[in-house]
Amino acid sequence: MLRYTCKRLATGLLALYVLVTAAFFLTRMMPGSPFQGGDATEAVTAAVEEAYGLKEPLWRQYGTYLGNLLKGDLGISYKKPGVTVRQVIGRGWPATALVGFLAVVTAALFGTLLGIWQALSKRRTVRGSIFLGTLLGAGIPNFVLALLLALGFGVKLKLLPIAGLTEPAGYILPVFSLAVYPTAVITKTMCHALEDELEKEYVKMARAKGLKWRRTVVGHMLKNAWIPVLNYIGPAAAFLLTGSFAVESIFTIPGLGREFVNSIANRDYTLILGLTVFMGVVVIGVNLVTDLLCAWLNPAVRRACR
Amino acid sequence: MSLLCVKDLHVQFHEREQEEEAVRRLSFTVRPGEVLGVVGESGSGKSTAMQAILGLLPERAQVSCRQITLDGADITPPPPGADRRSRRMYERKMEGVRGCRIGMVFQEPLSSLNPSVKVGRQITETIRAHRKCSKKAAKERAAELLGMVGILEGEMRMRQYPFELSGGMRQRVALAIALAGEPRLLIADEPTTALDVTVQAQILDFLKRIAEETGMAMILVSHDLRVIAALCRRMLVLKDGVLVEEGTAEQMFQNPKHEYTRELVRHGARLDEPPKFVENVEYGKAGDSLLAVDAVSRAFSRGGSGRRIEAVRRVSFQIGRGETLGLVGESGCGKSTLASLVTGMLSPDGGTVQYHGEGRVQMVFQDPYASLNPRMTVGDALAEPLMLNTDMSKEERSQRVREMLLMTGLRPEDAAKYPQAFSGGQRQRICIARALIAEPRLVVCDEPVTSLDVTVQAQILELLERVQRERQISYLFISHDLQVVRRLSRRVGIMYAGSIVESGEPETVYKEPWHPYTRALLAAALTHGPQRGGQCNGSMHSTGMYSAGMHRIKGQAADLPERGCPFAPRCAYAMERCGREMPEMYRIGAREVACFLVHRKAASQPHIGAQSAQAPHEYGI
Repeated sequence: MLRYTCKRLATGLLALYVLVTAAFFLTRMMPGSPFQGGDATEAVTAAVEEAYGLKEPLWRQYGTYLGNLLKGDLGISYKKPGVTVRQVIGRGWPATALVGFLAVVTAALFGTLLGIWQALSKRRTVRGSIFLGTLLGAGIPNFVLALLLALGFGVKLKLLPIAGLTEPAGYILPVFSLAVYPTAVITKTMCHALEDELEKEYVKMARAKGLKWRRTVVGHMLKNAWIPVLNYIGPAAAFLLTGSFAVESIFTIPGLGREFVNSIANRDYTLILGLTVFMGVVVIGVNLVTDLLCAWLNPAVRRACR
Repeated sequence: MSLLCVKDLHVQFHEREQEEEAVRRLSFTVRPGEVLGVVGESGSGKSTAMQAILGLLPERAQVSCRQITLDGADITPPPPGADRRSRRMYERKMEGVRGCRIGMVFQEPLSSLNPSVKVGRQITETIRAHRKCSKKAAKERAAELLGMVGILEGEMRMRQYPFELSGGMRQRVALAIALAGEPRLLIADEPTTALDVTVQAQILDFLKRIAEETGMAMILVSHDLRVIAALCRRMLVLKDGVLVEEGTAEQMFQNPKHEYTRELVRHGARLDEPPKFVENVEYGKAGDSLLAVDAVSRAFSRGGSGRRIEAVRRVSFQIGRGETLGLVGESGCGKSTLASLVTGMLSPDGGTVQYHGEGRVQMVFQDPYASLNPRMTVGDALAEPLMLNTDMSKEERSQRVREMLLMTGLRPEDAAKYPQAFSGGQRQRICIARALIAEPRLVVCDEPVTSLDVTVQAQILELLERVQRERQISYLFISHDLQVVRRLSRRVGIMYAGSIVESGEPETVYKEPWHPYTRALLAAALTHGPQRGGQCNGSMHSTGMYSAGMHRIKGQAADLPERGCPFAPRCAYAMERCGREMPEMYRIGAREVACFLVHRKAASQPHIGAQSAQAPHEYGI
């Protein structure tokens, strides 16, 4: 287990390094300069570029960036004078993270329950409608759903707020629109996993020894069926925690997703890079944690590390 | 009065518009304290019937039954069209019957125990499902049950997961679970099929003892007439879901009425017959060896621990042209690794494998379902070796395929079909045809009949014999089944923990085993025939010193001693020396034995020949 952890940590760091390098050189390869345009004369642009260190050779810029990165310094924004990238992330991340976290929890909870219901219900109508629901949920893009929800619950029914997160009720619609897709996938995964477990001999054995059905499901089958679900939740959580531009825009949430898209439009090199690195850390970190968790859930692996 | 009474049980499976009758009008009774045997081949509906009694079948199975009573109480399942309420009532009633009044043990203990739940909890939850008691009391009772089924250090075992136990121990745990509710009836569905011979003997012995001591009735379901005969006075014979014969074991063996029973008995008996060998082949001539294996070893690293386990240690043997060497051993003894070494799929860490024949060594595997690609027609599968190894034209190849199919007892037109269209026995014929098509001189058969029914086993063995007669090929025949090996082999080698501990001609080895492990193995093997005078046939009882020695057996290959004889920890004759050094192979006549007991004898009588050789225990050991 220790060896596995170290290996996964090492590959994670390597992936991060490749990501930083690729992102750095890609942003530099974009045509034009961040300070071009407007009424600025060539001389002014050149002066500003000189001041920001953009006239230096590329490898030296890269070296400086890496050096600063190791110190945790992501640089300053090119377009927002006096604002550091860390400040931008510090402002946007809490909202994004909270919405994303709520969406993950919601999806895990409802996905699991619906999956169990679909797999074990004896009623054809129940199984059929959940199946149809998962198809719809997985098929509809979240921005379409967000717009429809905003229109229905916000504009027509005036039940829920549709802009900002100033009141708790403001979380409902964005969280819901983000959670629908992963809920559908988790439901499907859970249902398949349970159907597989149902065929296993130990289920028959559990019944043969007189266990109540509920105990068989909760005490035996869920333990095994949850592992594929967890394998999906990892990447899904990473995706949700890094923010969705569309949903954040529709509900005017001051999150990271919005910042990211704006930074690209503004050609704000340092901000693009900083956000990429930050999201990379989140994605790789969350995946690492779920991989380790999945390994640890396997008793054979757990025993080996003792 | 009968304990269990089943009247007109009928089970039908609905699958993809196919109606399949699995059990037809089955009626039988079990008396209190009786051990009833149910014998039948795969697909005979024996397991289905047992599960129907307990209401364990999936929903696509339609169960209808006139009446099932247990101890006078009605446990008849609701008819197929019954409403939800009566189903729920039945389910609730059965929750009180299952595990409490009828216990059940399944075939494969690894899959019937939940891999991710600790053994202790799997037992305590059963106890607590039937009796209100504290967790602590349930734990104490669980430890008691484990002691009853012969598991030492129950407290420690309860904290382990099923994968940390050996196969026999897992089945003991399953038995402890089945006995937790002190049932009046135990249904054991192929309880020893997945186990090794020596472990099978111990489990059967335990079942017999527990039935005698507690007065619990038992239904023992098996495909193996020997297992049934070892334990049951009365038995039922099932074929295609129909009860074809019912009677005492003696009647079945001495005077079987139904054609099918006769066939079962005859095929079983044939396995016990001494083999008929190819007359014109002389074996063991120097310089005529086809395969020479010299002191090969192979180790694997296991898990993350970095420790290497020696699967095969310094094994040597030779196979002559047209000769068959049988290798017998229990699971994990390294016989399959040895097969891979011989075919060149693995390379040895040490020692040499020299093959003097033309072409490659071919192989026949255990599971004919897994060893044929379901997306390839039989013709393509057979032609593949020709395509790789020869430059035959397409017509020549299909001509050869047709010849091969005919030779192995199939029809030429079968070449166009896919493997799914064939039964297990037919598939194994295809596998044999595939092995033979490139005209190899040596074929390695790794448990080729283990997954087949008894009657089919006999046919496949006949086929292998005929092919050998016609083509003068050699076999390395690997099996855990002593009888099967004896039937085919000119010489046998007994493997234990990676080494061959004894080898020689089957007649002498079987009659007079010298190595303590061979003795234990033979003592554990069941023989064909009814139990006499209420006694088990064969000496699998714990009476007699050899089986007494075997009963001390614990541990598995992973716990092998670092030094000395690998069998020493389980051996009843182990001396101080056995723990210190590894015995070498002592050669006496045509036999070779790796045991210090024999060495002592060989030293005292240096001129001893195979004929006059006496078993070591007769020298006062």
